[in-house]
Amino acid sequence: MRGLIGAISAMAILAGSAAHAETLKLVEVITSPERTEVLKKQVEAFEAANPGTEVEIVSLPWGQAFEKFATMVAGGDIPDVVEMPDRWAGIYKDKLVDLNGYIADWEYGKTLTQKTLDMGRQTDGKTARMIPYGFYLRALFYNKKLLEEAGVSEPPKTMEDFMAASKAVSELDGKYGYCLRGGPGGLNGWIMMAATMNGDNTFFDADGKSTLNQPGSVEGLQFLIDMYQNGYAPKDSVSWGFNEIVAGFYSGTCVFLDQDPDALIAVAERMNEDDFAVVPMPVGPAGKAFPTIGFAGWAMFDTTKDKDLSWKLIASLSSPEANKEWAKRVGVIPIHEGAEQDPYFKTPQFAGWFETLNGDQYVPTVMPTYLEQFGYFADSIALETSQEALLGQISAQDLADTWAEFLTEEYGRWKAAQ
Amino acid sequence: MTAIETTAPGTSRARPSFYLKYMVEPYLYLSPAIVLIALVMLVPLAIGISYAFQSVNLLRPFQTGWVGFENFQTLWSDRKFWLALTNTFWWTLGSIFFQFFLGLGLALLLNTQFHGKRLVQALVFLPWAVPTFLSALTWAWLFNPTIGPLPHWLAAVGILSEPFNILGDPNLAMWGPVTANVWFGIPFFAITLLAALQSIPGELYEAAEIDGATVWQSFTKITLPFLAPMIAITVMLRTIWIANFADLIFVMTGGGPANSTQILSTYIFTTAFRKLDFGYASAIAVALLGLLLLYAVILLVLRRKLVKI
Repeated sequence: MRGLIGAISAMAILAGSAAHAETLKLVEVITSPERTEVLKKQVEAFEAANPGTEVEIVSLPWGQAFEKFATMVAGGDIPDVVEMPDRWAGIYKDKLVDLNGYIADWEYGKTLTQKTLDMGRQTDGKTARMIPYGFYLRALFYNKKLLEEAGVSEPPKTMEDFMAASKAVSELDGKYGYCLRGGPGGLNGWIMMAATMNGDNTFFDADGKSTLNQPGSVEGLQFLIDMYQNGYAPKDSVSWGFNEIVAGFYSGTCVFLDQDPDALIAVAERMNEDDFAVVPMPVGPAGKAFPTIGFAGWAMFDTTKDKDLSWKLIASLSSPEANKEWAKRVGVIPIHEGAEQDPYFKTPQFAGWFETLNGDQYVPTVMPTYLEQFGYFADSIALETSQEALLGQISAQDLADTWAEFLTEEYGRWKAAQ
Repeated sequence: MTAIETTAPGTSRARPSFYLKYMVEPYLYLSPAIVLIALVMLVPLAIGISYAFQSVNLLRPFQTGWVGFENFQTLWSDRKFWLALTNTFWWTLGSIFFQFFLGLGLALLLNTQFHGKRLVQALVFLPWAVPTFLSALTWAWLFNPTIGPLPHWLAAVGILSEPFNILGDPNLAMWGPVTANVWFGIPFFAITLLAALQSIPGELYEAAEIDGATVWQSFTKITLPFLAPMIAITVMLRTIWIANFADLIFVMTGGGPANSTQILSTYIFTTAFRKLDFGYASAIAVALLGLLLLYAVILLVLRRKLVKI
């Protein structure tokens, strides 16, 4: 990694010394060696198509990206184009160029999916601060063979089906319904269930009060608690994290798993592709489901010297072909309509995500990561109390009240700071 | 060689004052060490303790200030603190009990003569040399029924009803890190006690044998009294060490499920570095420090009363 960064900075210095060339600075923040390789290739193609332009890539490792990037920007070393994760968009929104005009004039602007545009405009609902390059979206993996064995003909469409199918599979010896994530990172599952049963995914009502302890949400929390306490999820799943749920799924211990596309890489390595598929998350009583979504995209800082050239770079990275390749290598859902026709994505596995993206009954949910103590909430409070609820030490209502109280207070603080 | 005191005419013949020579001068020689210790230990300690009486939250940088005993009042009514304290007690007691007795047994075995003793002695020390992070991860996987053999063995001998991961069961989870800690800590006791055993003069055992003492008698009347000072000091050190030892728990269970393996040091860590509330974290740390000091004092008093050497 360090060698790579060294090599890139060395290249950057060489590039900088070529005085005649126009240099753009691109910062990537979710770095991995494979990713950087893909990005470098795509940037080279852009340089070849635009002679006289050089692009300097700065790679920040994700672990320290936030601090490093904040320091760069504060120090005036502002890049032209940046990889912008969803949770930072709110912080930098006033420094980012509105891309709406560019998208309207862009040859591929029409094929961007509606959700891509919505997510790009997420900060205020109008201004396109970025073009997302792909989505981490929750969908339901299921084990075809096990489901058949349990006598369930098709994957669940509603929460009721979901519970019933889980029950049926749990009657098989040593098999379970749901790969429940009771341990680290389990908050998304809880929030998703609460929103689905409540039929709404707004986190705070008009008075700034958390919606998590509304009766519907409590039912959603109770849903997962029932799932566990009735034995439809493995006993140790109360402490399962990412590795355990994915292992639980591909080892055939449990039949359902809710995960993002990046888990597909690990699952596909170990399971026959005919043995599993992915469908959208089951819908609740309101006929809607609220899978959580995470994304990152390309954004342009308003300090760039050449806006048109920076846009060209973003456009080149976001073109259907480049984006498809990027999505395949990184494990995200691509942003252009028609990508589902590509042989790579035209599989029963990816179908679940495209259906989610294109269906109106599926409303992506963005976690309130803008709250100051959200990390503490997700990693400590939510983790401990949800485990207590699963183990029957507190009720779903207690759980909901604890969460709502904390989030309401945090939200009040956040609002006061705005 | 005789030193003749000569005084140049005109200068004072008075000696440097007694006070200066015996009370102050030694400390001047010691001062570099004292300054060093103060800088690297006492000053941070004092600052740390002072945090316990302040509100220091990184997320609220403008609300810092002295709050007196407020943090301790919160602590008194904090359910999680008492839970963590109870867990710390069982974690420490369970670990130290097995580590000590198994370590003692191992030391007694190693104190006999057999072929390849040096090699075995070196191997016994190995767990101590494995990075705790690595041993914690390995043990966590060993307890995982999908990959590890332990749950299946435990189920086969009838300890568990079915092979499940004990780290996920709030009533059993503490046994996971305790097992790992026992494995990790036995060598320390084995090696230190072995050193003490080897310093016991062999004639005593010969004399006991001639007097017709049984093996048990020579163990309780000779070995134990000679080992006692070493036992007292190692048990004290290890207790303090284990009570503060968060690595294994943090990696294996993260304090879960539902706080059932949360000990004070993991609680301090989460409070300080997840909640970013350094004031409250310091208050917990000060409470832990106080308890451990109390424990050390009691043990030292006991040692003085019981050990007659």
